[in-house]
Amino acid sequence: MRQRGYGRDRGLTFRMFFTMFLLGLLYVAFLGLLFWAGISPILIGVIAVAMAIFQYYGSDKIVLMTTRARVVTAQEEPKLHAMIERLAAMGDLPKPKKIAVMDTHVPNAFATGRNPKNAVVAVTRGLMNRLNEKEIEAVLAHELTHVKNRDVMVLTWASVIVIMAGFLMQMLFWMSLFGGFGGRDRGGGGGGQLMVVMMLVYVGTIVVYFLAQILIMALSRYREYAADRGGAIITGAPMQLASALAKISNDMYRIPEKDMRQVEHANAFFIVPALKGNAVASLFSSHPPTEKRIERLRAMQQSMEGGYRSFRV
Amino acid sequence: MGIFSALFGRTKLRKPNREDFFAVVTAESSLRGRTDIRTTSQAGIVVNPVESQYFDSLDSELRDLLRVSGVSTGTRFELRDDSFGTRWVVLEDRDFEDLVATVHLVGETIYDHGFGDRLLAAVFKFRHEGRDAYWIYSYKRGSFYPFVPTGNRQRDNAAEMRLGTVMETERIPVERSLEQWYALWEMPF
Repeated sequence: MRQRGYGRDRGLTFRMFFTMFLLGLLYVAFLGLLFWAGISPILIGVIAVAMAIFQYYGSDKIVLMTTRARVVTAQEEPKLHAMIERLAAMGDLPKPKKIAVMDTHVPNAFATGRNPKNAVVAVTRGLMNRLNEKEIEAVLAHELTHVKNRDVMVLTWASVIVIMAGFLMQMLFWMSLFGGFGGRDRGGGGGGQLMVVMMLVYVGTIVVYFLAQILIMALSRYREYAADRGGAIITGAPMQLASALAKISNDMYRIPEKDMRQVEHANAFFIVPALKGNAVASLFSSHPPTEKRIERLRAMQQSMEGGYRSFRV
Repeated sequence: MGIFSALFGRTKLRKPNREDFFAVVTAESSLRGRTDIRTTSQAGIVVNPVESQYFDSLDSELRDLLRVSGVSTGTRFELRDDSFGTRWVVLEDRDFEDLVATVHLVGETIYDHGFGDRLLAAVFKFRHEGRDAYWIYSYKRGSFYPFVPTGNRQRDNAAEMRLGTVMETERIPVERSLEQWYALWEMPF
C-alpha cells in the first residue's frame, strides 16, 4: 500500500473558500447600499484600488522601512542565505530577492512582496539565537509558503473593501460635522429624507467595515494554517515547526526547562493556568493561537506516523 | 478538580491507573521492529520522601516486596537518593512486561500506604535514533509525556513532540498541556 503521506486539510480549504464567498457577498451588499443611496462608488473605488496598488507594489519597501530590517548579502549571512536557497528549491520557488535581518531579541520572522520574485524574507536576531537550525528552517519554510501562496496579494485585494468603507466612513463623518448630509436647505422634507438615507449609509458602512475586518482576519488566520502546513511539507518535519512555535510564543504554551522535582505545586495541588483566549479578541487577530496551530501540526504528524503504520499488513 | 473540592480545599488524589501502564506494554509491542524506538531494560519511580517513621517503614516494606516479586519476575531493583532530595526506585528487567508490571506495583504500594501524594513520576527509558528517550508518567496528572535530554540541561523539543504523536497513535494518554512536560534532569539511569 502506498504511504498516505501528509493527507489533505479539506476543512481548511472549504473554510477559506467560504470566507472568500462571504467577503464577495459583502462587497455586493456594500455596492448595493451605495447605489441605493445614490452615491457613486466609482470615485471611492478608484481611490481604494489606488491605495491597494500602492500597498501591493510598495509592500516590501514599506515593511522593510517600518520594521527597520536590514537587507543582508550572501557574504554577510552565508548560512541564512544557503538555508533559504535550499528551502526555496525544495518548495519550487525562486530565491527571494531580499533577505533581511532585524536586530531585536524578540524572536520573529516575516515575508512580504507582491510575488515570489520580489519577495522579502526577514528574521530577527532573537529568532536565530533562540532556535536551533532545524527549527529556523521550519520557520523559514513557513514564511516561504506565505510567498508561494501569494498571501500579500490575496490579503491586499481582500482589504480593498475595508479601505473603501473606511474612506467613506471618514468622508461621511466630516460631512456631518460641516453640515453636509443635505444640510443646504432646499426647503421642505427633502433634506430630512436625505438625512435619514445618509444616516443609514453611515451605519451600513460601519457594519460593512467591521464585518469585512472580521472576515479578512479569519482569512488571514486560515492562511497561517495553510502556511504552517505548506512549510511542514517543505521540511517534512511538522514537529520542528511546532517546537519553534512553542518556543517563540509568549504565552504559557511551551515545554518547560524546569525540573519536575523543583516545581512546588507538584507536591500538593496544581494551578491550571487555563487562560482561554478572549473570544472577541480572537475574532480580530490575524494569527491563530499557538495552541491550535500546534494541535494541527500534531494531527499532520500523526497522519504521517499513521501512514507509516499502513506498512503493517 | 470539582467545584466542591476547590471550595473546601480538598485535593483528591488519583489512584495510579493500571490501564495507563498496560497501554505502554501494548504500545511497545506494536512499535517493536516498526520504528526506531527500542526499549531498554530500565525504568524507575521517583518519589518525594517525607520525614516520618511511616515512610521509613514503607521503605523497608518496598524492599521486601521487590525482593519477593523479584524472585518470580527476575526484576532487579535499587533505591537511590538524588541531588534534588528525591528518592528513586530504579528497576531493571529484560522482560518489558514484567518491568512495567513492577513499576505499577511499586506505585500502587506507595499509594496504598497513604503516600500517593509523594509519588512524582514513573519513567521508562527508551532508545530513539541513537539517543536516550524517556516516557514519563506523571502521577499527578495521570498522563504520559516524552523527554529527550540532549545534555547540558537541554532538551530536544521537536523530537519530543514527534514522540508524543507516536505515543498518541498508540493510544497512550499523552499530556495535552505542553507546559506540564516537566524535565527530569540527571536521570539515574
